[in-house]
Amino acid sequence: MGKNLNINVHHLTRVEGHGNIVVNAKDGRIEKIRWEVPEAPRFFEAMVRGHSYEDIQTIVSRICGICSISHSLSAIKAVENALGIEVSEQTDMLRHLMHYSEQMQSHSLHIGYLAAPDFFGAPSVVPLVSKAIDVVKTIVRIHRIANEWSDLIAGRTTHPVTIIPGGFTKVPTPEQLLQLQQTLKNTVKDIHTLADVVLSVASALPKFERETEYVSLKQTNPPTYTFYHGDIASTDTDKAMPVKNWQKVANEYMTEQSTAKWAKWHRESYMVGAIARFNINADLLCDEAKQTAKMFSLKKGCCNPYMNTIAQLVECVHLFHASIKLIDRILTKGLVSEKVKVKVRAGRGAGCTEAPRGILFHEYEFDKNGKCLAADMCIPTNQNHANIQKDMEKLVPQIIDEGEDAVRQKLEMLVRAYDPCISCSTHMLDIRFKK
Amino acid sequence: MKKELLVAGLGNPLMSDEGIGVHILNRLLQDSDKYPFAEFIDAGTAGINLLHLISNRKKVIIIDCAYMNTGPGTLKRFVPEEAETIKKLAVQSLHEADILKIIEMSALLGEKPREIIIFGIEPQAVEPGNNISRKLEEKMIFYVSEISKDIRF
Repeated sequence: MGKNLNINVHHLTRVEGHGNIVVNAKDGRIEKIRWEVPEAPRFFEAMVRGHSYEDIQTIVSRICGICSISHSLSAIKAVENALGIEVSEQTDMLRHLMHYSEQMQSHSLHIGYLAAPDFFGAPSVVPLVSKAIDVVKTIVRIHRIANEWSDLIAGRTTHPVTIIPGGFTKVPTPEQLLQLQQTLKNTVKDIHTLADVVLSVASALPKFERETEYVSLKQTNPPTYTFYHGDIASTDTDKAMPVKNWQKVANEYMTEQSTAKWAKWHRESYMVGAIARFNINADLLCDEAKQTAKMFSLKKGCCNPYMNTIAQLVECVHLFHASIKLIDRILTKGLVSEKVKVKVRAGRGAGCTEAPRGILFHEYEFDKNGKCLAADMCIPTNQNHANIQKDMEKLVPQIIDEGEDAVRQKLEMLVRAYDPCISCSTHMLDIRFKK
Repeated sequence: MKKELLVAGLGNPLMSDEGIGVHILNRLLQDSDKYPFAEFIDAGTAGINLLHLISNRKKVIIIDCAYMNTGPGTLKRFVPEEAETIKKLAVQSLHEADILKIIEMSALLGEKPREIIIFGIEPQAVEPGNNISRKLEEKMIFYVSEISKDIRF
């Protein structure tokens, strides 16, 4: 007799926001597999309307408590595109350094606090502290440094305050940058220790593959493992798309199982995030990161979504080494205080960055006084929803005989591997007082 | 160098009363000169970043919107040991963090501040919007004066 499954994970834990997994099977016949996102819409696009071009990045930084720098930078790039603002090389380099700090914050959070408990068989990171205190301390150390790194360049850990269209209101001193560089040099060994630890438990990652399309930024001039500049590239085509045409990439549409919009480009779904960036740009990683990828047998063309966490780890190694070099470049050029001059005009512009969990698009329109008339944003997690659904449809029949608990666990791990960020705006306490 | 006393306002100021912690913090900041030994941080929806913000301080005051089963606008002062979470969301994540769990983790890592005081404010409205509800706005002076009493060692 076939298996029966009745899985209803209402409000999956250790992902950002509210997502449900529903799977039903009777006598081995699958009746339903659904990835549902019932999160309430938050109307940020309406919220920025009527505001000045100078305020956009501050407002949209509140969309997310993790990707606030990416949202701010995508917004600023869109504003600068709309108003024809050019930025200096110094601004460009400091923005990169700021953006790298967010990737480190987010990746170390995901690998360390959200995914690691799965590798170690713990329900969350809190009990993991007593199970593997040295591992947790290493993770906390890396995460803490990434936070302090954001504090220095962005003015605070989340919701940056130092960046404005055209430049910075405050830049770090050379001494502060040197100190940061020294801290990063001292922490490189921690990153490699973390890679060794993850390798020792990597057998917990399910061996599942499904070919799909991967989409990320690609920068050819100069060739860079990019999170910031470039065009939109896909593993399904050699022809990259300019950022201004992002809507032709996302092709957002509504589905009845989700309040979030879904996306598709060359096929029924695509994936964004670290594994997409790796699949498109892996040959541009630094040697140390390439070595880390090799340790995990992670190669370009990987189509195991669970390996996204490993791709994040590879990126961590790359980001540390790239940042140490970038600080050298900034210091060699010398830091100066720059005045930002903006000539306001009417216009429409798009901006794009790679948020830690994938490509992120912002677009705004302004009137001649710089007042926002319209806004459109497309977040990475929404671009991944269809791909999660398609993965589940392929995975469940392969593992149906493993029993309900194993199926549930593998599906939860699958969603967590995408590092989804479904909703970021509410977080409140819900408590009762002890008698 | 970290200051020994931290006052952290939590919440999202774009979700009306959910951002009450940040609104109160901004009022407290106007008088921050009176407290040179204290650091005031708009921690937003910083979630697990709170672990780093509180580490190895002597005293931490957290101001946050809280469902406490009291009337809207109620201010309650408590220490972590007096409350238990009934939140069924992500055990640890960045925005949907559970601060009581973060405090527990801080203790396990051996870096928990000696004194933590939480001020919870029961919301009236949690919905998109820049302003807090009138009910809470009317009590703002009271909140600021009550919380100020604790900004000392």
